[in-house]
Amino acid sequence: MKSSNRRSRRAAVAVALGSVLALTATACGDSGSGSAGDKGSEGSGKGTITFWDNNGGVRTDVWKEIIADFEKQNPDIKVKYVGVPAASVQSKYDTAIQGGGLPDVGGVGTAMLAEIAAQGALEPLDSRLAKSSLNGRLNEKFLDSVKSAGGDGKTYSVPTSANNGTLWYRTDLFSAAKLDPPTTWTKFYAAAGELTDQAKNRFGYTIRGGEGSIAQALDAMYGQSGITSFWNGDKTTVNDPENVAALEKYVGLYKKDTPSADVNNDFTKMVAQWDSGTIGMLSHNLGSYADHEKALSGKFKGIPNPTLDDGTRVQVSNPVDGLGLFKSGKNKSAAWKFIEFAASHEANSKWNESAGQVPANNEAAQDAWVQASEPTKLAAEALNGASTKIVQLPYYLPDWNTISKADNEPNFQKVLLGKMTAKEFLDTLADQIDKAQADWKKHH
Amino acid sequence: MITEIAPAAEPVVSEPARPGKRRRAWDEAPRWQIYLPLGIYLLFTLIPFYWILLFALRPAGSTSLVPWPVTFDHFRKVWTERSFGTYFTNSVYVGVSTLVLTTVVALAGGYALARFDFRLKRGFMLALLCSQFVPGALLLVPLFQIFARLQMINSLGSVIIAETVFQLPLSMILISGFIRNVPYSLEEAAWVDGCNRLTAFRIVVLPLLRPGLIAVGSFAFVHAWNHFLFALMFLSDQSKQTIPVGLNTLMSSDSVDLGALAAGGIIAAVPVVIVFAFIQKWLITGFSAGAVKG
Repeated sequence: MKSSNRRSRRAAVAVALGSVLALTATACGDSGSGSAGDKGSEGSGKGTITFWDNNGGVRTDVWKEIIADFEKQNPDIKVKYVGVPAASVQSKYDTAIQGGGLPDVGGVGTAMLAEIAAQGALEPLDSRLAKSSLNGRLNEKFLDSVKSAGGDGKTYSVPTSANNGTLWYRTDLFSAAKLDPPTTWTKFYAAAGELTDQAKNRFGYTIRGGEGSIAQALDAMYGQSGITSFWNGDKTTVNDPENVAALEKYVGLYKKDTPSADVNNDFTKMVAQWDSGTIGMLSHNLGSYADHEKALSGKFKGIPNPTLDDGTRVQVSNPVDGLGLFKSGKNKSAAWKFIEFAASHEANSKWNESAGQVPANNEAAQDAWVQASEPTKLAAEALNGASTKIVQLPYYLPDWNTISKADNEPNFQKVLLGKMTAKEFLDTLADQIDKAQADWKKHH
Repeated sequence: MITEIAPAAEPVVSEPARPGKRRRAWDEAPRWQIYLPLGIYLLFTLIPFYWILLFALRPAGSTSLVPWPVTFDHFRKVWTERSFGTYFTNSVYVGVSTLVLTTVVALAGGYALARFDFRLKRGFMLALLCSQFVPGALLLVPLFQIFARLQMINSLGSVIIAETVFQLPLSMILISGFIRNVPYSLEEAAWVDGCNRLTAFRIVVLPLLRPGLIAVGSFAFVHAWNHFLFALMFLSDQSKQTIPVGLNTLMSSDSVDLGALAAGGIIAAVPVVIVFAFIQKWLITGFSAGAVKG
């Protein structure tokens, strides 16, 4: 028995040692650095900086190319790329703001800018921009969006691109039915009805009823009502009677001219359904162009949102993507160099061509690929054109994301299913927005 | 006077149900009554898997309902271009380490709970149960700060420790249930034969715990394999990320490569399916044994 005792002890010691060694071997990480309270420093302008891509994965390749170009031009600076899944980037930033480990540079869209800026994590960039070669070279409207989203009029990110709501339509189905392109709302509704044949599983339109439904519904609603401002004094216009009527008409498409499964559509399901089925039209943004091209090459086109019959186009603002400089960074001068490079003509053009979005750099917006890519060109014209009125959504409200997603997406599904009226839905939404605005005004 | 004493009535012993009879009743049932519901259930379960296979194996842009011509481009793409080879290795490392640590620590803790009486034992059990109600997301910031102080952010060790800690309460409770099912007299007999407690445990108890260990170990592995949150938050280096994070990066905010996503999903699912295929026999035994006495 003595020998078995010894064996047991040896086994126990081996397990303990193994565990310790396994953990020691893996414990070669770093402490992470910088939470929201850290002031950071300018640093030497050399060394390694960390960059968090807020849309990691699909855009990884183009970012790696841009980083390689940057490192070639700045051999003293190394950029550590971290691709963060788009759906989780907000929580990753929030955790790092509270716990430490923020990057030097991070991708920050206007939809999340207010929340991050409100926690004091981002450095205002106005004075750096004024002295930069980028000064005067960035789209003014995008800069205005960024300033508005920051909440206090300061520029917390350098805009790099803008997305735009796009109505994708099947040219083959439109030609076969001898229909005009859906350039106006009247033509849109007519085409939705004409292209629907439920017995053959053909539909005119696919509506977004799941995650992300609110922004799309607001886009369609303001587009039809022609109301051009989100605010009427301190009260929102979302529940204006004209908006209620517009939403009722839009929601009326559900099940009549759309598949019934649309009530659960997030963008993934909606795009997959459109790409693989027989559906006439889809409202999404420029980002799904590559997916459509793979599935429906030569059989589709993308145009900005339909206009009113008098040619006026009203659309809600789309998030402008940009790069933020984090206050806690220990090498801000190197980080700023990287931001300047990424927003410069060549790099910005390269990124946007890959993503199919509208460049924030004015010179990049003139490049040949923009002119050749019809959806991007039309989106750029719509964003910059005088005939387009843009309703600025209140991205600056820290509660905007919660209100426009978790709080009201289930209610929109109830509207689709006929369990709630459009008016009740919009009144609830308006009430929450007005309260959030009043609360925000108290602190600003 | 002769009193007749009636013979005592024989106790009525109900005849044990003969399994043969029941089997015959089943045998007599028309086959379709068995196979139709099973077939419908199987279809319901397998159609989503078929769609994943379809998207993974058919060329991009194809709308065919059969994966023909078959292409492995999506697998090649995620494995090489999207670094799934690296993510896979990291996930195996995290999964296996969590399995080993959880099983070893749960075994020790479970033994103590099953065999020793100590003060506040009930309170401790209650605390273990209550810890199951705390969502991981709630502890992210404190855990992040702890690992940052230990210089363990961006290290697989942080994920392994966090996963192990979250797996331990349930594992300890399960293992203690399995140990209680092993008669104490077996250990006592081993002591009489000269074993000390540890040897008796190793020689007598441990072999009887195999189903329980497999149940607890496989649960720990599968949970660590699939868990997304800790890997996302504690690991920032691309070369250290795990499969669930990799899968999420295949979905951008406005575009999804469904072929790559389906291929990535299959790569993520294969190890779990293999693990369950090998251990299902012990797993069922393990859970039913643990359920007898808690």
